[in-house]
Amino acid sequence: MLANVRRWLPIALVAVTALWLRTHDLAVRPMHADEANQAVKVGALLERGHYEFDPADHHGPTLYYAALPIAWLRGERNLAALSETTVRLVPALSGTLSVLLLYFFAAAFGRWAAITAAAFLAIAPASAYYSRYFIQESLLLAFFLATILCAQRWWRSGNGCWALGAGVGAGLMQATKASAPLFIFAALVALWFVRRNAFKTTRPKRDLAVFLGAFFLSAALFYSSFGTHVGGLADALATYAPAAGRVTEGSGHEKPWFYFLSLFGWQRSGGLLWQQLLFSGLGLGGALVALRHSHPFLRGALIYTTVVGIALAVTPYKTPWHVIHLIPGLAVLAAGALAAIPFRSVAIVLAAFVILAQWRQTDLAVFLRPADARNPYAYVHSSPDVRKVRGLAESALAHSPQGAIRVISEEYWPLPWYFRGLDRVGYWSLPPDDCDAAMILASAANTAAVRSRLRGRYRESYLGLRPGFICTVFIKEAP
Amino acid sequence: MILKKLSLVLAVAVLTAGAQAQAPVPLQLELPKPLFAGTPRPISLPNLEAPRAGKRPDLMVPAGTANLSKGKAVTSSDSLPVIGELSYLTDGDKSGTDGTYVELGPTPQWVQIDLGAKAKVAAIALWHFHSQARVYHDVVVQVSDDKDFKTGVTTVYNNDDDNSSKLGKGKDLAYIENFEGRLLDAKGAAGRYVRLSSNGNTSDELNHYCEVEVHGALVK
Repeated sequence: MLANVRRWLPIALVAVTALWLRTHDLAVRPMHADEANQAVKVGALLERGHYEFDPADHHGPTLYYAALPIAWLRGERNLAALSETTVRLVPALSGTLSVLLLYFFAAAFGRWAAITAAAFLAIAPASAYYSRYFIQESLLLAFFLATILCAQRWWRSGNGCWALGAGVGAGLMQATKASAPLFIFAALVALWFVRRNAFKTTRPKRDLAVFLGAFFLSAALFYSSFGTHVGGLADALATYAPAAGRVTEGSGHEKPWFYFLSLFGWQRSGGLLWQQLLFSGLGLGGALVALRHSHPFLRGALIYTTVVGIALAVTPYKTPWHVIHLIPGLAVLAAGALAAIPFRSVAIVLAAFVILAQWRQTDLAVFLRPADARNPYAYVHSSPDVRKVRGLAESALAHSPQGAIRVISEEYWPLPWYFRGLDRVGYWSLPPDDCDAAMILASAANTAAVRSRLRGRYRESYLGLRPGFICTVFIKEAP
Repeated sequence: MILKKLSLVLAVAVLTAGAQAQAPVPLQLELPKPLFAGTPRPISLPNLEAPRAGKRPDLMVPAGTANLSKGKAVTSSDSLPVIGELSYLTDGDKSGTDGTYVELGPTPQWVQIDLGAKAKVAAIALWHFHSQARVYHDVVVQVSDDKDFKTGVTTVYNNDDDNSSKLGKGKDLAYIENFEGRLLDAKGAAGRYVRLSSNGNTSDELNHYCEVEVHGALVK
């Protein structure tokens, strides 16, 4: 009994910490435009029970379906009832699962090294931040770690059930994001270089068939919306054309090749310091250990992280959430560096320093400045101002019960999320002839035109959609 | 008789000189350079004021008006700002770059300048943050002789149109920050203390100040 406690308590503490960092006060940050957009799709799925994959502008379906059971458990049956906490629990739980999966995957490397790697992943600022962000990345990482864990177990045991698990995991990866093959490819490259023993199975063809069958079936189930939208299967392939266009052209998200490296370095922005030098230094130390000593696991982590890092670096399209795919490998390398230190006490002190430094950065990014334009993870983030818009709308409609809400702006997300459940809300990119309404929210570019078309008395104020993007709010005054 | 005439001439001369001393003169302000680095998003000043063309109109103040706040002590509802120092408000650096502004926490926050003695305040110029187009909410500027602002408070400016800061409903206009700052006509409001409040801005929930200048003359 005591032995079991000793064995499981450390990783349990790491998991609880990871869960707390990912679930505490989930609604504190305003909804990012991407989160709002996807949450509205969840609302539609909740209400209509139907979903169709959109190959042009959206990633795979798993995120939306994963939110359903949480919404049901929390008694939220439609978009109006849906909350930020509910949808963000999907990445939060998958982010916590990733920590445990990394532990089990890295256990072969040594228990304490695995616990340390899991702890580094748990408290990494980007991991914690994007595990509270209703986008696909955290889910994709969890499915990836599940896939390679199953593949590892299959390789060592030869048990076909693990091949089935790996196939399901890979299928879910594919059903989450079109970039899934990159991570599978990087893992295969790493495996190719570090494999020492042949796999144990005596029926490799059968296991390959099981893997492929599970892969296609699980991916097909989601893309076809569980058989209700067969066209989604073709769209799963068709999505690569627009995705390739976005990735190669950058579509406004072009950044230099060293962008992701810079997130692990040192940068000062508007008085706030963002740095991960201790963690990065330890990761670099782990890379040196991997190169000097032929430890296959550590070397595999280095090769995988390098392949993914190069792929991300050469791709012009860069958004900061992709960085979470580099963290498990770096966490393993950092743990490897600590394991290579001959004096245990020195390693423990160093680990404590790294954890403390990372914790401070995570606290700053996740809790203190979650939507601040200086936060490198808060990418083109909505201003906290957007949370006022619902109250303004309800107040305006209370005075004009027959009135409507008009949003006249070239950009308007995440407003549809904040207006959820209100019936009479319309969106225009250019001012219509009739602009009158109980409340009008006009972008700066449209404000003058809207003002000139209004009849009656309106009270005006400002509301920030994002840093630098200000809207004018016109609220009709009582006659 | 000659003495009488001389007295009359002297009296006229003194009165003329006094009148000349009180004739209003334009307030001279030193402005920082614009800081909109790169290409900002198109914001066509959709403000509640008509966009101004050309130079800001001069604000006429009594001759002898001086910047009384330079180097003066500043206190705040957020006594330990995470970024910057309260002294930045009165250090004369209004450039707006990193390291020249103080950042106060979210929710309504105030800063208060102690002029050291009672003064007649002619004008107040303030720069919140001007490296990005943004609007500060519920800006209220008050002058008082009471350091707690409970009595004898003169409100110079108030754009809190829904009284969310509980300082009274204001009818002044909101404005987009720029390098010119906001120049307020204090109309000779008397007091030793100047308090400025705000309640976040359109970009974040925080409150910033690069510089505040209180122009006037000490009451003797």
